[in-house]
Amino acid sequence: MQTRRQFVVRGTKLVAIGAAAAAAGPTILVRDARADGQLRILQWSHFVPAYDKWFDPWAKEWGAKRGVNVTVDHVGFADVVPRATAEVAAQSGHDVHMFLGLASAFEEHVIDLKDAVATLEKKYGKEVDLAHRSTYNPFTRKQFALSDMWVPDPGNYHKEVWSKIGMENGPSTYDDLVKAAPEIKKVAPQMQIPIGVGLSQDIDSNMAVRNILWCHGGSIQDKDGNVVLNSPETLRALEYTKKLYSVGMTQAVLSWNAASNNQAFNAQETAYILNSISAYRTAQDNKLPVLANYFFTPALKGPTGIQLASEHVMSGYVVWKFSKSQDLAKEFLVALVDASRDSMLASKLYNFPSFYGAAAEPNTPLNKKQESGAAWIAAQCNKDPFGSTPPDKLALLAKSLPWSTNLGYPGFANPAEGEIFDTYVLTDMFAKASTGALSPKDAMAEASTRAKQIFDKWRQKKMVPGGGKDK
Amino acid sequence: MNSTTTVSAAPMLHAGETIRRADRRLGVVMLAPALVYIALLVAAPFLLALFLSLTNSSAGSLEFSFVGLQNFQNVIASPVFRRALRNTFVFTFVSQLAVMVLGNVLARALMRPFFGKTLARFLILMPWAAPISLATLGWLWIFDSTFSVINWLLKVAGWLGPGQWYYWLGDTTLGMVAIITIHVWRMLPFSTVILLAGLASIPNEVREASAIDGAGTLARIFQIEIPMMRPILTVAVLFGVVFTFTDMSVVYLLTRGGPYNSTHVLASLAFQDGVLGGDVGRGAAVAIFLVPVLVVLAIVMLRSSRRAEVV
Repeated sequence: MQTRRQFVVRGTKLVAIGAAAAAAGPTILVRDARADGQLRILQWSHFVPAYDKWFDPWAKEWGAKRGVNVTVDHVGFADVVPRATAEVAAQSGHDVHMFLGLASAFEEHVIDLKDAVATLEKKYGKEVDLAHRSTYNPFTRKQFALSDMWVPDPGNYHKEVWSKIGMENGPSTYDDLVKAAPEIKKVAPQMQIPIGVGLSQDIDSNMAVRNILWCHGGSIQDKDGNVVLNSPETLRALEYTKKLYSVGMTQAVLSWNAASNNQAFNAQETAYILNSISAYRTAQDNKLPVLANYFFTPALKGPTGIQLASEHVMSGYVVWKFSKSQDLAKEFLVALVDASRDSMLASKLYNFPSFYGAAAEPNTPLNKKQESGAAWIAAQCNKDPFGSTPPDKLALLAKSLPWSTNLGYPGFANPAEGEIFDTYVLTDMFAKASTGALSPKDAMAEASTRAKQIFDKWRQKKMVPGGGKDK
Repeated sequence: MNSTTTVSAAPMLHAGETIRRADRRLGVVMLAPALVYIALLVAAPFLLALFLSLTNSSAGSLEFSFVGLQNFQNVIASPVFRRALRNTFVFTFVSQLAVMVLGNVLARALMRPFFGKTLARFLILMPWAAPISLATLGWLWIFDSTFSVINWLLKVAGWLGPGQWYYWLGDTTLGMVAIITIHVWRMLPFSTVILLAGLASIPNEVREASAIDGAGTLARIFQIEIPMMRPILTVAVLFGVVFTFTDMSVVYLLTRGGPYNSTHVLASLAFQDGVLGGDVGRGAAVAIFLVPVLVVLAIVMLRSSRRAEVV
């Protein structure tokens, strides 16, 4: 016997599933793959296309060795989350789903991958901390995703232009950007945007504004999950960005998409951007004139001395609860980490292993594996096998781990941080303050209110900690 | 005679009733697919959206609890929402006005014989047939803030001096101009075809009579043709308004609501909050604000179509 309330709730869920399945039906190719021996993977279309050319046959070959038919479907990075939403609603689709940023919002619908991570840790030692903080929820104690790789996010600078203003190694602090911008205008007047830090509703801008916020001592949450956006540090970050915008940027950065900063730098329309090496590889592949002047800097230091940059991409593979091939999926993910060296090379050094030990020399003792893996990674970066001139152009990437962190810093990644990321609360705040649409104080207050609403909602669902010390 | 008439009338009535019943049954059967379709794909999702707007449902979960009107309170308090609401009306009104004016001009031009008329008609219809995602990508380059083709042309023509540049997608006003421009480009062919049909349906005798009576061009257009085309104009306007009011594709593909969430319309904001942001309850609450306007439009549309039937 069920109560009327239970009946209503159950009935509603059925209608919800039915309606969502009907709506998603045309866009999802649900193959008849329920039976064992099939593994369906949904993967992004990699920013370095060469990676997909390696991944797809590698996955199929892995399956063929086990008598398993592996299928890989690719979607653009912007479709990863909507596709996951549709598959959850339909309770059908792929077995393995790759997220680029935060998979935490889907925690309830994925299996715990603790055992897969434990297997990998036994083989290779601990994963890098930012990968752990992006795939594990300490509040629910669930390993909701498994990361095989992450991507550093260095500064990209135009060597000739920066040399002309006496900074041949590029900027090293955020203050350098403000000082350099007027000088760049003088020595390179043809450049439309001296400093190309995006303040738009896109993934790169989302990371850039976090970098600025963190390096000025601010953050959305503290390490315990309390919302602390409303702070003097945030205000300082906003005032800094307003100044930078007025001296070195144009309204173009308010409209950028994920490719815009790459295009602007490769067209020599800007002298500095924050990006992974994908734009550089594009310049190499197309032998663009900018190539000779394409150089990199580590994350910039803020006035607090903090030097941090968000990872550019953090893979987070999940296995859906509705998958009938869960064990197979876990095996696959372990094998993918096993292939970390191939993965890094196939992506032309774009991917960095989340388990450094997986890149170690064979037969290295467990306690030396991380060190050995780091040495192999450094060897690749110090002598780029893909033809950089000079060969050590990417050397700084090997040392990027100390200045790279996860979304959600100084806490763990969580669904609230994910929603703030996906609805552009921070880029909105920075853009409004920079353009004068709102004063920095009002922009901060508006964003803080929205952030608290989002955190409160997820706290009600018992997926995010904190709340007692919200500012 | 009387009795004969009575006797013969009875079976006729019976046959008539049988036919009417059969007609009714056939009518129900014929209507059933449409009713089922509306119930499953219109009524159920609408009721579901209404229900979800009162919950804290999120995209990654099928569990939720009731939060009453909290989503509506949060949404109304949000400046982004208020901006999107205003944009939705501006977007709809300005684009429909432009479509009707330009559609009239084009339809009148196409009524006249000229060399290459078939080709012109084909070209005018092209935007209607082109997939909006592909078309918007093309427009994205035309309006790109760094590489805008329009800006380069203006620069070459001397319209823009050194340091002058239009940031089409980086400026709130220019962003809306770009969005409306693409939408007008997209809707214009349909409107033109409808208006062309309306113009063609006016008998030539009426035009000839007005000419004999000494009516000028403007008098003919405003006092004869437009009043005679009112039913079809109403349908065209209402269809365009409903289509525009609920559309999010141009906004999503062109500006993604930027800069700083200032060019959102209700539909794109609902998508951003509900699907991308995963807050289904909030997204549903935003979308529900479309309903009162759409209900009014639906009533007007039904009334006007009934009037058109009488005409």
